[in-house]
Amino acid sequence: MSHKGDFLALLKSQNCHIQLSADDLNSASLPLGATGDAATHQLEVAEGTTVIAVRYQDGILIAGDRRATAGTSVMYDRAEKVLPIDEYSVLAISGSPAIAYEMARVLEHSFQYFRRSQLQELSVEGKLRMLSRLIRENLPMALQGIGGVIPIFALYDLNHPEDENGGKIYFYDALGAHFENAAFAVSGSGSVWIRGILRYLDRWEGGPLAEMDLQRATRTVLRLLDTASEYDVATSGYNPKSRIFPTAKVITREGIHDLPEQQLDEIYTEFVDVDYA
Amino acid sequence: MLDEPYRWIEAINDRRDYIEDQLRPGSPVVGLNYNEGMLLLTIGSGQRKIFEVHNRTALCAIGHPAYIEQLRMLATDTASVQGFQNSVDDVTLHRLANFVLGPAIKQTFESIFGAAPIIKMLLAELGTLGRENQFSSINYDGAVATDSHAQLIGGTDAIESAMRRYLADSNSSDGTLISTARTALEIWAVGRDLSLHEDDESDDSEGSPVDRVQLHEVLKEELKEGQIEAAVLDNTRRGNSKFRILQSEEIENLTSDWL
Repeated sequence: MSHKGDFLALLKSQNCHIQLSADDLNSASLPLGATGDAATHQLEVAEGTTVIAVRYQDGILIAGDRRATAGTSVMYDRAEKVLPIDEYSVLAISGSPAIAYEMARVLEHSFQYFRRSQLQELSVEGKLRMLSRLIRENLPMALQGIGGVIPIFALYDLNHPEDENGGKIYFYDALGAHFENAAFAVSGSGSVWIRGILRYLDRWEGGPLAEMDLQRATRTVLRLLDTASEYDVATSGYNPKSRIFPTAKVITREGIHDLPEQQLDEIYTEFVDVDYA
Repeated sequence: MLDEPYRWIEAINDRRDYIEDQLRPGSPVVGLNYNEGMLLLTIGSGQRKIFEVHNRTALCAIGHPAYIEQLRMLATDTASVQGFQNSVDDVTLHRLANFVLGPAIKQTFESIFGAAPIIKMLLAELGTLGRENQFSSINYDGAVATDSHAQLIGGTDAIESAMRRYLADSNSSDGTLISTARTALEIWAVGRDLSLHEDDESDDSEGSPVDRVQLHEVLKEELKEGQIEAAVLDNTRRGNSKFRILQSEEIENLTSDWL
């Protein structure tokens, strides 16, 4: 076989075109009035959302609000923005939902295809580069300002020593460069309101975030999402009328677990939705 | 030659004899249902024979490794593209076996000027969306046989028949994985024993009871050199992919205090 476990090459060989392929998106496909000249476009990615990943003592807690917006309209309040990709990897998306969901789908199938065809798991570096490639190939859409995606990618590295935390958090720029962040990462329009708080908590308040237990990590993340929703209209908070909670998942050596709604409800009631003294 | 049909038939028959001779010593593969899913088991000499094809589909085969690899990739590529283009729910064993692998093997088998397909395959699909668990075997001539409870492949029809008889008579499994795997090992030993004594094959009297102690001796002897390879499609497994290769500790548990 010529494609050596490369799912994108397999799709191409079968004449199956995906939305993210740079081959299909060139300047000729830009909307009316657009020139396709990168210099004339400011790379601004619409990213109405807040997603957050923090390292805690057993792995990674990764969460996101549920609101999907189009301009100033709320389109949907139950969007899933924290998407499991394989047994130990999660993608938290911000940006264009159509592209982001397609990216997650391609990523999931690519990892699976590599494992099934090459009879081994794709390495952590291989997974990171695969996502970089998808983001880079999506550049024409990002330049148009309609299809940019700035995700957080979090995973648990099983090759890490068993007695250490193998949780890893990576964030990306719109061109596909990835950076590892040891303690936390945030993305989306609400992230500007909480990034500084995370830095403060990690540096001075109650010890490093990586030493938190799950209870404290969950409490912190829910409070931060609530804070983001207070200042960012594209981020939803807890909606008690509809009982819509943020999505929260943990990634540990045992794999990925959803935090159940009941647990989130209890933490909200006790620690987030509190009356002012 | 092509204008003389009887020669083509003769060539096909020669091809059949040749393939069966090549397949005869192949290590049998056993596929059985258990409480929580489906088990595929064989004993090999180190080269992997059981593979994940898609979320709920697994494959194993006996035959020439290069041809197994070629068809494994055909199945994996087809399932992966189909699952991506439509939905993972649209990837079915029925379509893989009857529309992809079966015709490809049949075409190779009947192309008498090309290499013969030295292969027998066994595929398993864990049921979902109202579909039952399903096993399919594909013969070297492309013929597909399906069963929802069990399926076996061995070097010859006689070997498979003997294994099937033992399975039908066997009622020792309580449905747990370990018990089912032990039954599978005994069925494997029936096939192996017969393939090692091919001269006696014609003397094999239908319905004659098989001595379990003797089967265990066969297993002990084979496990001096060979290794048990087993995988499950496990309904209780989290995530989309239900395939799991049994770990070495689980394999050890199969035989300790039993053989």
